[in-house]
Amino acid sequence: MAKPYIYAWSTLGKKIFAALSGLVLVSFLISHLLGNLLLFHPDPQKYNEYSHTLISLGWILIAVELVLLSFFGLHILTGVWVTLNNRAARSVKYEVENYAGSPSRKTISSRTMIWSGLVLLVFVIVHLVNFKYGSIPQTEDGMHDFHGMVMRFFKNPLNVVGYVAAMSFIFWHMRHGFWSAFQSLGVNSPLYSKWLYRAGLVLAIALVAGYLAIPIYIFIFVSI
Amino acid sequence: MMAEQTMTIHLRIWRQPDPLVRGRLVDYTIDDVSPDMSFLEMLDVLNERLIAKGELPVEFDSDCREGICGSCGIVIDGIAHGPMKGVATCQVHMRSYNDGDTIVLEPWRADAFPMIRDLVVDRAALDRIIIASGFVSVDSGQAPDAHAVPIAKKHQDKAMDAAACIGCGACVAACPNASAALFTAAKITQLYYLPQGHPERGRRVRRMVEAMDIEGFGNCSNHGECEAVCPKMISIQSIAIMRREYVRSLTIDREERMASAT
Amino acid sequence: MPLEPPREDLPAMTEKANAAMMTLDAKIPAGPIQEKWDRHRFGVKLVNPANKRRFKILVVGTGLAGASAAASLAELGYQVEAFFIHDSPRRAHSIAAQGGINAAKNYANDGDSIWRLFHDTVKGGDYRAREANVYRLAQVSNAIIDLCVAQGVPFARDYGGYLSNRSFGGAQVSRTFYARGQTGQQLLLGAYQALLRMVDAGRVKLFPRREMLDLVTVNGRARGIVCRNLFNGQLESYDGHAVLLCTGGYGNVFYLSTNAMNSNATAAWRCHRRGALFANPCFTQIHPTCIPVSGEHQSKLTLMSESLRNDGRVWVPKKGGDTRTANQIPEEERDYFLERRYPSFGNLVPRDVASRAAKMVCDEGRGVGASRQSVYLDFSESIGRLGVEVINERYGNLFDMYERITGENPYQTPMRIYPAVHYTMGGLWVDYNLMTTIPGLYALGEANFSDHGANRLGASALMQGLADGYFIIPFTIGDYLASGGLEAVTTSRDEFKAVEGEVRGRIDRLLSIKGSRDARQIHREVGHVMWDNVGMARNEKGLRRAISELARLREVFWNDLRVPGKADGLNKYLEFAGRVADYIELGELMARDALAREESCGGHFREEFATEEGEAMRRDDQFAHVAAWEWTGEGAEPRRHQEDLTFEDVKPSQRSYK
Ligand SMILES: Cc1cc2nc3c(=O)[nH]c(=O)nc-3n(C[C@H](O)[C@H](O)[C@H](O)COP(=O)(O)OP(=O)(O)OC[C@H]3O[C@@H](n4cnc5c(N)ncnc54)[C@H](O)[C@@H]3O)c2cc1C
Ligand code: HEM
Ligand code: HEM
Ligand code: SF4
Ligand code: F3S
Ligand code: FES
Repeated sequence: MAKPYIYAWSTLGKKIFAALSGLVLVSFLISHLLGNLLLFHPDPQKYNEYSHTLISLGWILIAVELVLLSFFGLHILTGVWVTLNNRAARSVKYEVENYAGSPSRKTISSRTMIWSGLVLLVFVIVHLVNFKYGSIPQTEDGMHDFHGMVMRFFKNPLNVVGYVAAMSFIFWHMRHGFWSAFQSLGVNSPLYSKWLYRAGLVLAIALVAGYLAIPIYIFIFVSI
Repeated sequence: MMAEQTMTIHLRIWRQPDPLVRGRLVDYTIDDVSPDMSFLEMLDVLNERLIAKGELPVEFDSDCREGICGSCGIVIDGIAHGPMKGVATCQVHMRSYNDGDTIVLEPWRADAFPMIRDLVVDRAALDRIIIASGFVSVDSGQAPDAHAVPIAKKHQDKAMDAAACIGCGACVAACPNASAALFTAAKITQLYYLPQGHPERGRRVRRMVEAMDIEGFGNCSNHGECEAVCPKMISIQSIAIMRREYVRSLTIDREERMASAT
Repeated sequence: MPLEPPREDLPAMTEKANAAMMTLDAKIPAGPIQEKWDRHRFGVKLVNPANKRRFKILVVGTGLAGASAAASLAELGYQVEAFFIHDSPRRAHSIAAQGGINAAKNYANDGDSIWRLFHDTVKGGDYRAREANVYRLAQVSNAIIDLCVAQGVPFARDYGGYLSNRSFGGAQVSRTFYARGQTGQQLLLGAYQALLRMVDAGRVKLFPRREMLDLVTVNGRARGIVCRNLFNGQLESYDGHAVLLCTGGYGNVFYLSTNAMNSNATAAWRCHRRGALFANPCFTQIHPTCIPVSGEHQSKLTLMSESLRNDGRVWVPKKGGDTRTANQIPEEERDYFLERRYPSFGNLVPRDVASRAAKMVCDEGRGVGASRQSVYLDFSESIGRLGVEVINERYGNLFDMYERITGENPYQTPMRIYPAVHYTMGGLWVDYNLMTTIPGLYALGEANFSDHGANRLGASALMQGLADGYFIIPFTIGDYLASGGLEAVTTSRDEFKAVEGEVRGRIDRLLSIKGSRDARQIHREVGHVMWDNVGMARNEKGLRRAISELARLREVFWNDLRVPGKADGLNKYLEFAGRVADYIELGELMARDALAREESCGGHFREEFATEEGEAMRRDDQFAHVAAWEWTGEGAEPRRHQEDLTFEDVKPSQRSYK
């Protein structure tokens, strides 16, 4: 007998993990965006208080971060693995590729999940260097001045362009990713299948709009 | 009846004498294609001419030529079974094309479907998926009266929708990942909706998925291209059902799994 | 029970050229018809369960008959090897059957019973079937439905959750079970899954893309087969204790038929040449509602459900050569010929009657369409009466299919239909045990001749194939195997080498002719000869013409054939050429059989034997028998044997549909 077959890592199993971890990441994206929307608040203290609350969670925050990190790792692992498997399943490519039309859900987005994912990976690393492990200024009252940092950061047009470009991939990834995660978990039925697919589109637009609005708004409207 | 007009059709056909030789697209032109011909009849005509010229005819599979046996299968201009919805290659008629069109013909491509020659590939992998429990274990003679178990019409209809699969493999051919998820899910779904399928449901889904993986089919990334080319328009809802059944068999069904392992 | 005389006896019999005919012992058990099968099952020898796995059975063909037989035998414990032309067992032609399968369940409470199904089948077969076989068929029919449901065949159901039935092919009771328009598919998938389950259990080995090209006999018994591996072109021999031929019908002799492209007569014909008698080859069924031929390029014909005749009216213009479109022809210039000739059954007369009537009006020059070889099937009256919705609901799929193939919209202009060859009632002669005249060689399904007489009722072929495979052969084969005398045989024996040599010689010969015509072209000509002379209506002159034309085509074939490519590797045109060679020989036998049968019955209509109104005239005094033909060698006249039929339980009467 060859290697034992592990049900968890079957073609179905891998996708279930990709989907679960993907959904965890989606929920982070949503909550992270909600938090960051405080940047629109006229009072800079609000944002700093929010950040401070997070930091003051202490080990809880670290635990959450670790969980998040492991799901991120799991997601990357399954995502890359799935992609490599898929490539291997068709070693001779078609001369002509085409799109069969409705009800197909094949889109550029669905065909490039690995690339949008990798862009997001690079983005997150750069982002962490920028905002988390970079030098964080302090306010007069001794709090970290995340607000000021973000503001200054997005006054630099290069940063804005870079972030806008990278974060657009959230749309690419979520356009297919959201509904796909439900389908991967078997959570789908003719009753709401169409709505789920639409919800994916709406969520993708909402997320990307929210995230893009921040740097653009700061760059154009905020004066320091 | 109007006098028939004929068309000139340019074909670019994948020719590959055997699996070890690299194949390529070869150009052919047929100048008197009748719109009444079926796509495969056009290839018959091409072959007749090739034979007359002393060349080797284009090999392709076909049998019933009415869309039920699942033998035929050509990727036509990048779409498995061609541009029409809900039909197999043999049901494509030349009247859907115009004079002067160029059409590209390629075989099903998937590593789980080894090339045999030209447009013919070996789809035995699909049988091997069914061998792994794609059935109800009942011996001839064991069955109770057909009316012993009533089945709700809506369940029976859904079972029939899934059972309509002709095993052509177009889903694999069209799937960007060469996944056999739709084919496998169709059988699981049929037996999921019928009480007769229930006693073995856990074992069935586990074994069929395993068989599918061993054959080297890709993962399903939910592209849905399979549903769009499926001649029986089997829905990818069935893939969701397969996944539910899979999760169920690894969780709720654990006891059954233990029992069947021993 | 004694075995058939061993094979060595046959040559001796050939010498007795003028001697009495071979006695064909059908081995029908004694006793009242209701008890024959039970008594027989009790009487036959049984193979000890522990010994079953010592017997290897070669099953050729995986249609309904083959797949069900292979599965059931493996379930009993026999070792089974299954051979088929296709890449998967599921592709067998049975997959294409649409309408349904009969059974005497009487779920509709409309007075059906085993006795009525038996009666209807014998009568429908125009009293040319063997009563005992037909009764047994009706008896096991119910168990088939039970088994199929247990396998997960999704037969249509009513809201209450119970199976729904319809009446089919002119039957007066609703006894047909169906799964949308895909009954054959669902039944075959059930049998296919049962078969694959036994592959899983390690009791069946599958041999895909293998074409059986000859039978190997050892000491007069069938002990093996020679196949061509269609992947790589190699010849392979296989040995076994018995061979089951489940290779389907031979309708493709006609070139155009509703049969699939790969349906063929080769396996049966090769066995015939090795000594199996061929029974009633002239009994072919022509189906009236097919989509007409559109041109020379036509490769096969498509059947449309007979149910269309429930709401469609069949007509042609009254005068010949009318070139107006259907809608331009006023009502009074239309001839609704079925309604006119058969006022009480109208458009619902049986298949053979409807087919012949259509041919007749086309022969009179009143056919419609470009080729003038079709008649209208008009729905305008029922659309007017019931509305488009109702018609769409009933026949939407068929209308779409028709439009896709013809490019004409049947909601606006009438459909055009024409009869086409659909089924062959003839086949290898078998006894009550389904054994041919070669001991150890069995024939099941459409490949045998036994149950449908001169005409098959709709939805009965599926029933017969599954009855043979699931419920008959598992019992009857034991009797043969348990009787002993089967020494160990391997493919290294001379008999195998000799047959393999012959097969190789034949293939080499096909490839070496290097003439100018491909097998398809010649087959097309064979088809024309058969259709024109041995088709729906036959007469002595035409049949003699067919025999000489076929002899000529045989010459053409063997002298001017061109087969492309080589013997090693996939070569469909080579496969095809071998089949055409056999069609020519079988076609000739069909013509001879039709010539010898000087009566009209069922699908066999001799113009000389018709009533004044042109209806079939059966001659029970002379022809109430099965004609079973013996191969006497290349170029020699085949010999006709008879198995007399007695009708004790169903009294023969003349069919009338006036
Ligand atoms: C269009 C159509 C519709 C029909 N509808 C109905 C219906 O509604 N109801 C009904 O009762 N009947 C119907 N029939 C008839 C019925 O389908 C057939 O008679 C029946 O399915 C035959 O089954 P079988 O198992 O004998 O042979 P098949 O299903 O024809 O199987 C033949 C098998 O033999 C194999 N084979 C053949 N030659 C060789 C060889 N040389 N070597 C190896 N393998 C070989 C093939 O691969 C195949 O597996 C219909 C027929 C047609 C054509
Ligand atoms: C913020 C970050 C990310 C989010 C929110 C996210 C979310 C998702 C979701 C919801 C899915 C659908 C899962 C499914 O179909 O079952 C998915 C799929 C995928 N993700 Fe991500 N992802 C993120 C980052 C990444 C990264 C960094 C990679 C890089 C490796 C990646 C690669 C993939 C791939 C390849 C798929 C498709 C898997 C398939 O083909 O089936 N993702 N993602
Ligand atoms: C304009 C948009 C964004 C702004 C203003 C922003 C801002 C910030 C800030 C200020 C922090 C540090 C907070 C802290 O340490 O508590 C942070 C952390 C982080 N951000 Fe963003 N972010 C943005 C978009 C994104 C996007 C698109 C992603 C993911 C794809 C992302 C992923 C992360 C991660 C993973 C952390 C670390 C979280 C942690 O350690 O708890 N951010 N972000
Ligand atoms: S699911 Fe559809 S495409 Fe796939 S094998 Fe079945 S019929 Fe063909
Ligand atoms: S196209 Fe492929 S990715 Fe899944 S939904 Fe269909 S199998
Ligand atoms: S040839 Fe049978 S489905 Fe196309």
